[in-house]
Amino acid sequence: MTATVAAPPVVNRPSPVRQSLLLSRRAIFAVLRQPQVLVPSIFFPLFFAALNAAAFDRITSQQPAFAAQFDSFLDFLLPATVLQGVLFGSTQAGTEMANDIENGFFDRLLASPVSRTSILVGRLAGGAVLGAAQALFFTGVLVAFGARLHGGIGALLVLVVCSALLGIGIGGFGVMLGIRTGSAEAVQGSFPLIFVLMFTSSAFFPRELMTGWYEVVARYNPISWILEALRDLISIGWSTGDAMVAIAVSAAIAAGSVALSLRALRRRLAAAG
Amino acid sequence: MGPIIEAQGLERRFGDLVAVDGVDLAVQAGEVFGFLGPNGAGKSTTVRMLTTLLKPTAGTARIAGYDVVRQAGDVRRCIGVALQDAAIDPLMTGSELVHLQAVLHGIPTRVADQRGKELLDRVGLTGAADRRVGTYSGGMRRRLDLALSLVHEPEVLFLDEPTTGLDPMSRLALWEEVRYLNRERGTTVLLTTQYLEEADQLAGRIAIIDHGRIVKKGEPRALKEEVGSPTLMIEVEGDPGPALERLARFGEERPCEPGMLAIGLEGGAQQLTAVVRELDEAGVAVRHMELNAPTLDDVFAEATGRRLEGADEPAPAP
Repeated sequence: MTATVAAPPVVNRPSPVRQSLLLSRRAIFAVLRQPQVLVPSIFFPLFFAALNAAAFDRITSQQPAFAAQFDSFLDFLLPATVLQGVLFGSTQAGTEMANDIENGFFDRLLASPVSRTSILVGRLAGGAVLGAAQALFFTGVLVAFGARLHGGIGALLVLVVCSALLGIGIGGFGVMLGIRTGSAEAVQGSFPLIFVLMFTSSAFFPRELMTGWYEVVARYNPISWILEALRDLISIGWSTGDAMVAIAVSAAIAAGSVALSLRALRRRLAAAG
Repeated sequence: MGPIIEAQGLERRFGDLVAVDGVDLAVQAGEVFGFLGPNGAGKSTTVRMLTTLLKPTAGTARIAGYDVVRQAGDVRRCIGVALQDAAIDPLMTGSELVHLQAVLHGIPTRVADQRGKELLDRVGLTGAADRRVGTYSGGMRRRLDLALSLVHEPEVLFLDEPTTGLDPMSRLALWEEVRYLNRERGTTVLLTTQYLEEADQLAGRIAIIDHGRIVKKGEPRALKEEVGSPTLMIEVEGDPGPALERLARFGEERPCEPGMLAIGLEGGAQQLTAVVRELDEAGVAVRHMELNAPTLDDVFAEATGRRLEGADEPAPAP
């Protein structure tokens, strides 16, 4: 081994930022490399949009209040379609986290000098990027079919930001489940909850036309608050107030869920530790 | 300089179960140390504590002078870990994983890429570097796992059952790599195994662990010498009890599988004719008979009263 020249010493400085960036990239790649996992979250929202637009366009357009605000039912459905896709797609972050735990990759990360929050940031940043991409995709499809954004670029931007935040919010919830159960099946088992969250909001039907308990539940469902603010931005025009409501509620959900997943991670490390 | 791996009274409980029950350990820099024991003996749990993945219920451990609980971050910087079952993300490619691992350790990108290439080459994965790990064979995954645990050139390498489930060729290749690392780089290696031969071949010193306790510690050769006499194993027709009685004067009974009898044959091979004569006189029908120089299995048997060989899946001989 005389040929071996002493290599100059390399100083290893683990950087949480570099770690987070690379782990985020890994999370995005994970989705791109198994596009089949996105099929339900692309298919269902478009399916519901097509179905509802066909079924309700005539009825709702005869409602004077509705017709006054929306050009078509498709305009009404645009934010719901986007959020539905984001909500359905975001559980993937939790599934991936559970997979990491199941196949042992999580342990490999923990045995490396990785800042513990980088592991979460990586997963959730992946969810945010995915959410934003979905917002652009669904808006593109619906606009191609005749939906119109009266709020212009501003409305689109708010839609994208809210989707990214909800990507973190729902992703964080899935990640929390993934960390607590370590089972991809358990995370996927939470899928119906997201369905319920979506269908008990005013996503597919104007709240003004709801009655009884349905209206009450929809009124207090935070998804309704985001949706209605987005809807006004899209169908009426730019309003700073609406933009702030939509972003603030999405951000609050994201913050809450990040806190929950951080707590789950700490608990797991303390218990395993 | 003190030992590079040091544990005192290391203990881990899971509820009522005591998985590791007071392990003391002192491994010097440059050693290859083997942890030998059956499944569930506490090998992996000990490794998980030494690699900061699990906090001890009691006791302390230090790696390169750093406490595994209070200075976990420092410990993680100087150790390489390849856990059981090659923990790797099936969606990433070999080179991506090496790069990721390097960045996690804070190695500058340029150095990381160069070193990653070298490592993949060393473990014979250059051709598969850009393929997803999901398409790798078991042996390739283990080799990648080993490469991953080496990107930051760790002082101490932990290998938890590195060859379990591997085919004989892959096993030999991995042994060779461990020897190379130890010899050329001076890497200290702590490996766990349930294979006697692996411990015998690789480790300069071993600890036999059973039910969470270290029951024997030392150099394999010295341990085998301690056992002394070779083991005479006889399979007879029917109940081995009477035959065992007749042979009592030839040596101590040793643990063996049911239906067999085993004694430590004092005086060795010279006594064989006498043994055969004795069995003949007693009218014992012998089915099979063998005389073996002491193995680590005899060491294990003497310490625990059970045999390790054949207790689990048999080790495929390389």
